[in-house]
Amino acid sequence: MELKPELGLRQVGLRFGGRPVVEGIDLGVAKGEVLVLLGPSGCGKTSLLRLMAGLIAPNAGQVTLNGAPPRPGQGTAMVFQSYRLLPWKTVAQNVAFALPDLAPAAVAQRVAEVLALVGLARVADALPAQLSGGMKQRVALARALAPRPDFLLMDEPFAALDAQARELMQMELLRLTGAQGGPGVVFVTHSVDEALVLADRIVLLSPRPGRILARVELPFAAPRWREDPRSHPAYADLRARLWAQLRDAVLNDPQSDFHRAAADLRS
Amino acid sequence: MGERTVTAMPDRSEARTQAEDAPRARGPAVPGAETALGTALLRLGFLGLVLIVWALAARAAPPGLFASPLAVAQALGRLVAEGRLLPALGASLQVYLLGTGLAIVAGAALGCAMGTFRLLGRTLDIYVMALAATPRVAFIPLIIVALGLGLQAKLLIVFLGAVMPVILNAYAGVRAADPELVEMARATGASRPRILRHVVLPGALPYLMTGIRIGATIGLINTVVAELYTAISGLGGLLAVYGSRFRMAEYLAVVVVLALIGAAVTEALRLIEKRLLRWREA
Repeated sequence: MELKPELGLRQVGLRFGGRPVVEGIDLGVAKGEVLVLLGPSGCGKTSLLRLMAGLIAPNAGQVTLNGAPPRPGQGTAMVFQSYRLLPWKTVAQNVAFALPDLAPAAVAQRVAEVLALVGLARVADALPAQLSGGMKQRVALARALAPRPDFLLMDEPFAALDAQARELMQMELLRLTGAQGGPGVVFVTHSVDEALVLADRIVLLSPRPGRILARVELPFAAPRWREDPRSHPAYADLRARLWAQLRDAVLNDPQSDFHRAAADLRS
Repeated sequence: MGERTVTAMPDRSEARTQAEDAPRARGPAVPGAETALGTALLRLGFLGLVLIVWALAARAAPPGLFASPLAVAQALGRLVAEGRLLPALGASLQVYLLGTGLAIVAGAALGCAMGTFRLLGRTLDIYVMALAATPRVAFIPLIIVALGLGLQAKLLIVFLGAVMPVILNAYAGVRAADPELVEMARATGASRPRILRHVVLPGALPYLMTGIRIGATIGLINTVVAELYTAISGLGGLLAVYGSRFRMAEYLAVVVVLALIGAAVTEALRLIEKRLLRWREA
């Protein structure tokens, strides 16, 4: 099925202080699709999310959301690795923060809805400091879903969680976004396994400056939160291929910690 | 007046090592001391020790130079009975609370404005720091020339002392706003006023409270200074009168009253702070 890319990047380049961060990025994401950006540290993945959110503008090329340059909070919502909850606000108030334009009654109703959706209705009045990491990230997810964004932009959101919480949150994310009319997801990770479990498509990025190395369409059937793709015959093969490419990219990066170690090993 | 060095806190970790948090972090040295009752008993015990040392010192000192705790308590009773203490206390509290209150309001507003509008902050901060480092007792003759010896002059002396730490700490607090939280707020499409109100100012509150506590202490010092240097009045006035006549029991009774005011204000601020900053615990 061909999906219309509602969030698009065309020949996008970005520089910080004269140094290129990403170069020549062409990407399209449609609503209802999960695109994973996979790459080593420093490949500009986070910068790409900021560009999509409209927090920064590209130095070259174009970023468009439904045909126009994106503006913060207009159709996109971000989820960060460090949760970024306001510690002085309750869970409900943190979610309500993403709904500045609604009337108070509508805010209360929507907050209750999304908290029920992520299973946190009973801690609505708790402060973030009282919650576990997994619960904090579910609050952050509820805050992102509250304004019904077209796209969720997720920056290594589960990297700080323990292995069990991470796996549960991955399933939770697929369940929440996989429904009819759900948002598109752009998900940044450096974990090959996380990419394979979550993605409809994977885009592999090179280290600095970030360029697209490979695009992979995944053959696993939807809905994947019901069927674990790791049992699929193609999984091991895909994993090995992606990992080999990622490893080569890191080892060939002269600025990588592993570059010299690899050269020493070869000699 | 206000000659202690007043510096803004550079970061949050330093704020946490403030004196009142330290004992809790180290844990109780005496079993049971972590309870409120245990703390109260330890404090009472220490007060008893101070009174005993004080009484022994008074006995050893040449007559007329020092007074025993008992003599001071009796003098305090006389001052109240003769109607001297309460009017003086009222006059001092008026100067102190009004001057410090104005300093808190003005200092918080200016400090937050300096932190929010970077151009204003960059322009003013060096002058505020210079003024904060200047012994402000140097301004008293100027204040007397401008405002005379009355209430206005006293209020300005208290205000000038208390306002500096409030400005500097509010300024530091706004500038220390967590960039990650600000980015999160921007990503929701929040306007600058909304980010200021919901993200930056609540984050600056711990700094502001520290500034207020330092300001309140300097305000009390400056209240006494003002009452000594301008028209003699209030508790500072009583200190001058009894000090110059070597009536040590009365003199020390006034000192005790000043210490009680200081302790009461500090404790009240601590309770307010604890309530406002509940989110930092848990």
